[in-house]
Amino acid sequence: MSIKILTVDDSKTIRLIVARALKPFDCAVLEAENGVVGLAVASREKPDIIILDYTMPVMDGFEFLARLRSDPTLKATPVIMLTAEAGRDTVLRIAKLGVRDYLIKPFKGELLAERVGRIISLNPASSSPEKHKRFDDPISILVVDDKPAIAGQIKTALADTAWKVTSADQPGQALDRCIENAVDIVVASLSLPNDGAYLLFQNLRGFAKTATVPLLGLSVRTAAAEQARAQQTGFASVVTKPIDAAELKSKISRALRLDTLYKYFQQREGALSLRLPSEIHAEVAHEVSKNLESQLSAVVDAGGDKFIIDLNEVLTASIPVIETTASAMKASEKLSLRCAVVGTPELIVQCKVYEDTQSWVFANSYDEAMTLLK
Amino acid sequence: MNERIQYLEELTREAVPRIFRELLSMEVQFEESAPLPDDPTGQIIGSVGFIGDATGIIYLYLSMDFARHITSVMLGIAESEVDGDEMVGDAIGELSNIVVGSVKSRLCDAGQPCTLTIPSVVRGRNLKVEAASNIQRKVIAFRNSHHHLLAELLLKN
Repeated sequence: MSIKILTVDDSKTIRLIVARALKPFDCAVLEAENGVVGLAVASREKPDIIILDYTMPVMDGFEFLARLRSDPTLKATPVIMLTAEAGRDTVLRIAKLGVRDYLIKPFKGELLAERVGRIISLNPASSSPEKHKRFDDPISILVVDDKPAIAGQIKTALADTAWKVTSADQPGQALDRCIENAVDIVVASLSLPNDGAYLLFQNLRGFAKTATVPLLGLSVRTAAAEQARAQQTGFASVVTKPIDAAELKSKISRALRLDTLYKYFQQREGALSLRLPSEIHAEVAHEVSKNLESQLSAVVDAGGDKFIIDLNEVLTASIPVIETTASAMKASEKLSLRCAVVGTPELIVQCKVYEDTQSWVFANSYDEAMTLLK
Repeated sequence: MNERIQYLEELTREAVPRIFRELLSMEVQFEESAPLPDDPTGQIIGSVGFIGDATGIIYLYLSMDFARHITSVMLGIAESEVDGDEMVGDAIGELSNIVVGSVKSRLCDAGQPCTLTIPSVVRGRNLKVEAASNIQRKVIAFRNSHHHLLAELLLKN
């Protein structure tokens, strides 16, 4: 990804629209919320093209352009100007500034991509499916918190993974660390002094190397305002304290789009097995239900006719367990797959009590289930 | 004086449906009158002023429900993914900027040069703008399905 495109706009909405329009192309979109920040990012990153808003507080598009043109290292950078004003005078004024093109808002994303493509060569993003890391791959996590105990808690929560946790107590230190080393994800306390987490977010988005590193916010459960602000800023998610290991792992997995399916689904000997973990959080239930249909279809397409739900790790027949298992059974019935459930003797006893689970066909092991379904 | 506010009304009546169509692929129709957009989720007003030979301000009144829908369409995301009121405020501020920017361009072309102010947004319940004296006022109502949108035009004499 060598093409860099800088969007300078005070409206986050427009920056998002620009980023979305350019997503299908092999380029990094850098963001700046005003002219001052835009100039700093431009002089550091030397973008291939700048998409510039006309009306902005702090430093408007005109002043930005004048300063850009007076910098020998940046003056040749092509600029496309965006403006809500289509009047003759405005258009003439824009033309005199030497911008390569301009677009009147509202504009369609396709039109923006076409105009950018006329000035610089835009190649489609790789058509081969993006290769995502697996949940059990090594991942580098940087925790930014002025309280060292928090980094310790996160290390403990992730001790059973192959993930490496390092820490920084200041946003500046964290930014340097991200630029110097390959950091996969940042977990930053939202209560850092002087809006440190939000500044870190903005700074990371201004460097090509770190522009796509996801951030998770850390917050106490009751701090709804700072959680909403983090979501608005663009944090991937917020993890609440006290830290729940399962929630943290799930949010990191989602932010990095880690492949976790292998943890639940496995196909062998003409059967699909679904293994549920001891506790089913909302994220687990969502991930299983989201992928269930495609997994079942795949086993049918491969000529399989059996579906085994492995509850060996499940200790209690809780409502999420029952709901997830029942919906999986229903989905397999639709595809005429024969289904059996594997569980511990304790779980089998519990399931015999409930009306909804009494009819489940249980086996004590995977092999026994396969024999049952023959 | 009435001609000037009528001209502003004419420009706004043309700009709002066009911008909704081009930006949001959404149809809004002019209607003779409509209630103040409000619902249990609240109300939002986006505004942008213009200063010069023509000086005034245009307010767009929407229910939060409609504003949230517009935000999701603008950003190409599901309504459930619209995070917080700030995202909605930013989108409505930008929508107001585009509408008033379009009106301002036509005013300039018609020999009434003016410059735009930056957009501002107010959220709350039962909000209503009171015009001071020496101001001409006009309210235009639009409708999209069950949603209402009011544009309030204030023009200094």
